[in-house]
Amino acid sequence: MVDRLRPSDPPTSSNPRVRQVEAILHGTVIDHIPGHMTLKVANLLARENDQVSIGMNLRSARMGRKGVVKISGRELDARTLSRLALIAPSASVSIIRDTQVVQKFTVPMPKLFEDIARCANPNCVTNHERWASRMEVVNTDPLTVCCIYCERTFLATELALL
Amino acid sequence: MSAGAGEHPVAFPPAALPFAPVQFTGRHVVSISDFSRNDLIHVLELAARMESSKSPARLDGKLMATLFFEPSTRTRLSFEAAMHKLGGKVIGFSDAGSTSTKKGESLADTIRMVERYADVIVMRHPRDGAARLASEISTVPVINGGDGGNQHPSQTFLDLYTIAKLFPALLSGERELTIAFAGDLRYGRTVHSLLTALCHFKVRMLLVAPRGLEMPEQYLNAAAKAGLVVQEVPTLQEVVAQADVLYMTRLQEERFPDPLEFDHIKHSYRITAAMLASAPAHLRILHPLPRVNEIAIDVDATPHAHYFAQAGNGIPVRQALLSLVIGTV
Ligand SMILES: [Zn+2]
Repeated sequence: MVDRLRPSDPPTSSNPRVRQVEAILHGTVIDHIPGHMTLKVANLLARENDQVSIGMNLRSARMGRKGVVKISGRELDARTLSRLALIAPSASVSIIRDTQVVQKFTVPMPKLFEDIARCANPNCVTNHERWASRMEVVNTDPLTVCCIYCERTFLATELALL
Repeated sequence: MSAGAGEHPVAFPPAALPFAPVQFTGRHVVSISDFSRNDLIHVLELAARMESSKSPARLDGKLMATLFFEPSTRTRLSFEAAMHKLGGKVIGFSDAGSTSTKKGESLADTIRMVERYADVIVMRHPRDGAARLASEISTVPVINGGDGGNQHPSQTFLDLYTIAKLFPALLSGERELTIAFAGDLRYGRTVHSLLTALCHFKVRMLLVAPRGLEMPEQYLNAAAKAGLVVQEVPTLQEVVAQADVLYMTRLQEERFPDPLEFDHIKHSYRITAAMLASAPAHLRILHPLPRVNEIAIDVDATPHAHYFAQAGNGIPVRQALLSLVIGTV
């Protein structure tokens, strides 16, 4: 699914800096992942048979150390982008076609995370009934959400993805 | 009269009455945060009419379902009394053991069934957020009678109504009221919701809580944002001398890891008639009930005791809520 892709966008020239992770032909590059989240992001994105390259503790002018995850042959669907927004809100996403970056954007921050993470309140009704969790973003730095059911507020880092 | 503290029937200043029309028909009553200042005043004003009128608006032919997935005799009786007084009828259950929930029926399915024969659903449930979930399914209004440790909005409406009746200055703003909360302010949902509601009015707050059971930051922040002056005070005795309203809450032993500490704390958060000797005449003590030890029995005979009258206010307030959401007023 490429719903975030606008084909009319002009292609961006590829990053002139020295590549720290091997280039891919088609697929998605998730860059600027906070160091400790890199493996989590890779796990989240990789499906069976996906070819994934991971770069950890890479140098970054913006964030000191960062992680990069490259996934071949696939672009991210809306749900995956939402999950990415929750665990790595600062990450950037590049869509690669024929080795060219055709689109680059920071992970879009939804207003509401629907069925993305488990509510961290053990007594929340969404943990006891078959009902999707819904959490509203109340602050983006640090990313903080409020469960619309139990009305508890959590840091995104306290939540487990569904 | 404006000094307040007499148990008069309706004493709302006319200034409080002209408000923008509020649409209530079909609305759910899930969380006090869903209500604006206008909404709150509208409910209080109607509760006052309900209380003073010999024949308030009727709900003949209307059916209220009380779904009590955990028992709460007090809340259930109050809603049932309110419905009966309006001429409506009541069905329901008063503990989950007697329902199909025990057989594994989901809350969603229970609601889908009940909404087909009731005009309004009043529910109490042990899980936080259960009423919000029900409100997303139900085509008839859902009134939250308590969802776990989260919300109990009809209690907040009746608390607010009690304060407004005692001290019309709450709504008129002619004087800044001083309202004190004492006890477990961390886990006590009644004080969280009441503070949220009071953010719409001009009041000064005094908070007295044992260490570790202080009012959570999110409510303090909201109060500060609303422009309320909030002061944490070390002792109950200090509060007694300054407050118009002292709202007491229960201290629960299980919140204290050390039983000795609880023993010590519970004495410093207990109000007695002797402590009230220096209190201003208009000080009124409220409590959501049931009380345990935090209000000594000898306080009952003082003019400061107002918790039973407060509980009685639950009837007109619930009459108002039922009439508003069913849409007969
Ligand atoms: Zn929740």
